[in-house]
Amino acid sequence: MNEVCFGTQGAQSRTLGASRADATESDGKHAGRVDVERDSSGGMWNRERIVSEAVAQILGTVKYIVPETILILAVCVSFLAGPFLVSERGEAPAGLRHKWGWLALIAITLSGLAWWNQSAEPMNYPNGPFQLDSLALFVRGLSLASAAILVLIGWNQIDDAHAAEFHACLLLISAGVTLTAAANDIIALFLALELVSIPTYVLLYLPRRDAAAQEATTKYFLLSVFSSAILLYGMSFLFGVTGTTNLTAIQAAITTGAGGAMPAVLLLAIVAVVAGLCFRLTAVPFHFYAPDVFQGAPTTGAAMLAFVPKIAGFVALLRLIAFPVDVSRNSNWSLVGMALPLLTVVAIASMLVGNLVALLQTNVKRLLAWSSISHAGYMLVGIVAGPTTTGSVNGTDALLFYLVAYGAMTIGVFAALAALGRGGRSYETLDDLAGLSQSHPAIALLMTVFLFSLTGLPPTAGFLGKLNLFLAAWSGSSVSKTLAIVLAVNAGIAAWYYLKVVATMYLHPLRRPSEGKVEMPALVGLALCAAATLGFFALPNLLWTIIRGS
Amino acid sequence: MSEPIDQLTAWLIPLAPLASAVIIALFGKLFGEGSHRLTVTGLLIAFFCAARVLVMKETSDGTGVVLRGPEWMSVGALQIFADIRIDTMTAIMLCMVTFVSTLVAIYASGYMHGQPGYPRFFAALSLFVFSMCMLVLSNNFLMLFVFWEAVGLCSYLLIGFWFSKPSAAAAAKKAFVVNRIGDFGFMMGIFLLLMTFGTLDYDSVFKMAGDVAEQHPQTITIICLLLFVGAMGKSAQAPLHVWLPDAMEGPTPVSALIHAATMVTAGVYMVARCTPLFVHAPTAQLVVAGVGAVTALLAAFMGMTQYDLKRVLAYSTVSQLGLMFLGLGSAVVSHDLATAAVTASMFHLFTHAFFKALLFLGAGSVMHAMGDVIDMRRFSGLRRLMPKTHITFLCGSLALAGFPLLSGFWSKDEVLAAVMAGTHEGTHQGYFKLLAAAGLITSLLTAFYTFRAYFMTFWGEERIPEEAGHHAHESPASMTTPLMILAIPALLIGGLLGPTGFFGNFLGHTVGLGHEGEHHLHWDVMAISAGVALAGIFGAWLFYVQSPGLAKAGRTALAPLYHLSLNQLYLDQLFTWIIVKPLWVLGWIGLMIERFVIDALLDFIAWVPNLVGKALRPLQNGLVQSYALVMALGLAAILAAMMLR
Repeated sequence: MNEVCFGTQGAQSRTLGASRADATESDGKHAGRVDVERDSSGGMWNRERIVSEAVAQILGTVKYIVPETILILAVCVSFLAGPFLVSERGEAPAGLRHKWGWLALIAITLSGLAWWNQSAEPMNYPNGPFQLDSLALFVRGLSLASAAILVLIGWNQIDDAHAAEFHACLLLISAGVTLTAAANDIIALFLALELVSIPTYVLLYLPRRDAAAQEATTKYFLLSVFSSAILLYGMSFLFGVTGTTNLTAIQAAITTGAGGAMPAVLLLAIVAVVAGLCFRLTAVPFHFYAPDVFQGAPTTGAAMLAFVPKIAGFVALLRLIAFPVDVSRNSNWSLVGMALPLLTVVAIASMLVGNLVALLQTNVKRLLAWSSISHAGYMLVGIVAGPTTTGSVNGTDALLFYLVAYGAMTIGVFAALAALGRGGRSYETLDDLAGLSQSHPAIALLMTVFLFSLTGLPPTAGFLGKLNLFLAAWSGSSVSKTLAIVLAVNAGIAAWYYLKVVATMYLHPLRRPSEGKVEMPALVGLALCAAATLGFFALPNLLWTIIRGS
Repeated sequence: MSEPIDQLTAWLIPLAPLASAVIIALFGKLFGEGSHRLTVTGLLIAFFCAARVLVMKETSDGTGVVLRGPEWMSVGALQIFADIRIDTMTAIMLCMVTFVSTLVAIYASGYMHGQPGYPRFFAALSLFVFSMCMLVLSNNFLMLFVFWEAVGLCSYLLIGFWFSKPSAAAAAKKAFVVNRIGDFGFMMGIFLLLMTFGTLDYDSVFKMAGDVAEQHPQTITIICLLLFVGAMGKSAQAPLHVWLPDAMEGPTPVSALIHAATMVTAGVYMVARCTPLFVHAPTAQLVVAGVGAVTALLAAFMGMTQYDLKRVLAYSTVSQLGLMFLGLGSAVVSHDLATAAVTASMFHLFTHAFFKALLFLGAGSVMHAMGDVIDMRRFSGLRRLMPKTHITFLCGSLALAGFPLLSGFWSKDEVLAAVMAGTHEGTHQGYFKLLAAAGLITSLLTAFYTFRAYFMTFWGEERIPEEAGHHAHESPASMTTPLMILAIPALLIGGLLGPTGFFGNFLGHTVGLGHEGEHHLHWDVMAISAGVALAGIFGAWLFYVQSPGLAKAGRTALAPLYHLSLNQLYLDQLFTWIIVKPLWVLGWIGLMIERFVIDALLDFIAWVPNLVGKALRPLQNGLVQSYALVMALGLAAILAAMMLR
């Protein structure tokens, strides 16, 4: 997070402020500001200068988004070439899905190589649309890794005719998540978030076009659009208060008190932004879609939905609300200070509602939806604990660590379900899983690892994640101490329903006999998730190095 | 003379068996009845490396070496490295462990043939060898303790190998629980050690021992006594010896390797390793000698009347371990004789490993042929049926009985000499007179019960139990070959290394042990012990071959003593009544509290979340309009709350 601090302070020292602020910026090198008001007096010459400066900024930040560009090129190939390989009656040559799957994996690998060669940079273009700090790099790695695993899980879930669009959507979503992290402008941020949402609608419907999937997709579509509208509404107020769309400038304006004149409007902006983002986090009371959609959607879609929007949501929340405030210059008008009570209530409600209702579920996908709601609550604790706690680990770092652990264990469970359910009805109820240890001992064991991790038992990353969140919250204020206690109590409640699944797999008689071989690609995805779940317990420093960007 | 010890050779000793254990554990099903090949390969590599280490620079010139391993943990000021330490004592132990275990593994491939869980057996066996090697290679008390527990775990797994047999499961549990009692003392000893010295490294502890002893003589004594409690558990010293005879429920190769030759000697090894501590705690040494003598005598007494061949050998093991502790304790006599006493015990440990493993494997061979019958009353006269087993068993028996010029004779002689030195030197001459008498009587009884078992099994008329069927036969070559190989060191190794002073000079390089100086042959002690051994053997011959009626007459004449011995002094019953039953009642009270107080409370606590969950459920009605409505209401409510705050 140091880079974020750096950028913020740099911005503050320049007092970029709002558009109504002094406009005589003359810092030669990258002074430009796309400021429409100025050209009323400026005329043609000024307009040209502004346009050329804007172009320079955009070109200057393009190199920040090379990995996304690679992904999107692959997407273009898939969308353009895909239809030509399928006949008019929708028949495709057998095995076509493998080719598209490999293309997606190659694109992700190339993108990953580009990611590997990037390193965090101080913000050379504070007014440009993109930035590249350790958070952006971390999210990019996480997003690419999860995209690769999702491609593997979905490999055989999709038929040959729709594989091109399916994998292209996954890549688009991945690109959207990383752009969210790289965004330095609320317009870019919003577009990036929509780049996650829109392919999701397609993804939920493509693999299995039956009534349940249709209902799930429709629900998700309507509610997602609704939440995007709320988010956009909030952003418009943010722009209205600060007069700029640039994140660096917005942060600077608010910390220096430029918005102090209109606290009520700012408050409205914050509530709307948080509400809009909470939909993606599946936080209470914006969680209602999750159980219905997870249950109705195909397994890959549900796996994606359980994790990827959460990355985007938390990163957007960090960028918009919880940016680190320079303590020495702290003003009363920090966004995070205003949002804290709201986030605290949402965190507690999410943990409690998620876990309590999960106790009653018998459908594993539905159970995971409620589990996902409660985990949103756990991770919000990290945001409330904040980036400046005094303990061994700060809230933001703990949140990012937990995000990785959560991704590995949740996608892991879905991957197990996907690996089992070849053809026919997918495995999703507790009855389907009864006695799984007899028919598929290896998968049952891996499932147990993931469920232990979700419960927060060693030796898994989930244990370390919960421990870090708890420690971070415990070292904070009395409010965050309360949150730490709620977290601990909830982890106890949650153990019941996770371990119930384990008990069903190991202690109940076999109900559903094995249906042939398990899915190989999904099995690879499963193994990767298990490696991450166990590996980050054994070697947490690998992850800390990336998170702390050092 | 030769190249220095390198990391690869040293680490291969524990890691080769570990690798085979892991591979068998993971892919055992693939190997099936071929699993033993992996184990034997791993053990051969380990043995080869151990033998190489024995002649490499640091061991042959006696300096010893500590190879720095990765940092294992760092807690406050305490830093623990996974170092391995190789000096002469380690090298000797490693060679003995890997040699015996290789032969036992080969033997087991024949013995365990056709058993379900064949790969599991060999995985556990390899894991045991790994743990034992690491125990010996440890360079600090914490690692010693970890692998001390690890060998205990392997022992548990192997005693309970036939876990579906209730007696085997119970024996495994008993071994584990009794060992925990010893481990408790051991742990307290290590804690006190850490508090007193601030470090757990052997070298630092031993270096500081003298200074600390001057300041806190009591502390050192308590530490040594606590450590010895641990040794009592692992090495089956009275009254914690009760687990070892029961441990014979495990497969016989396990009894041979773990419960005779290697693991049970860990206690002796530990006390010998800690000699630099014990020399500063004379009281503790006197206790060690006393416990050793009592155990040696009692176990020999109990071994006299057992009918289970393996139990006879088990009591004999307990008794011999007692002798080793007696020798270790005799280091108290005088500073000059301390080294001789410790060397004598280690030497006895070393020779004992070979002939006791041989005897157990021989007993296993008999058991194999007799259809798993091991009660000596049900068979006899097997010498013609099983010639190879007979001859090798005889070699082992002669060595154990201390027949002149065989291995057991030399090592036992040195232990007795160390004890007898106490009768005319030092400050505790009266005490040592008792100890020496106990040692001599033990020798007599040992010779007697060993040959009682031998004569009952191999002499007399040929009888075979019906379980053996009609195909009672000599065991396969995979079993008899290890017997024949083991017979050689059982007969000769004592004579080769003992009287020549080779063993003593080699071991004398170990930290804390001085040079033994001129090696003496104790002609007087040798004469006495030779006489005692021959008398014992003759007695057994008289009672069980020449005139079997005498044995029956003896039984009736000494009925109370006979029953006391047969029922193992009623120790098991005593423990049941004074320890197990009261604890059982306590457990029952706990169970009732659990059931009627805690469970009820928990049920109530568990019922509340369910109720709340049910209350929240109707909101989730599946209608998208209502979801949107609730979202909007939620937004409005939050906004109102924030504005009005």
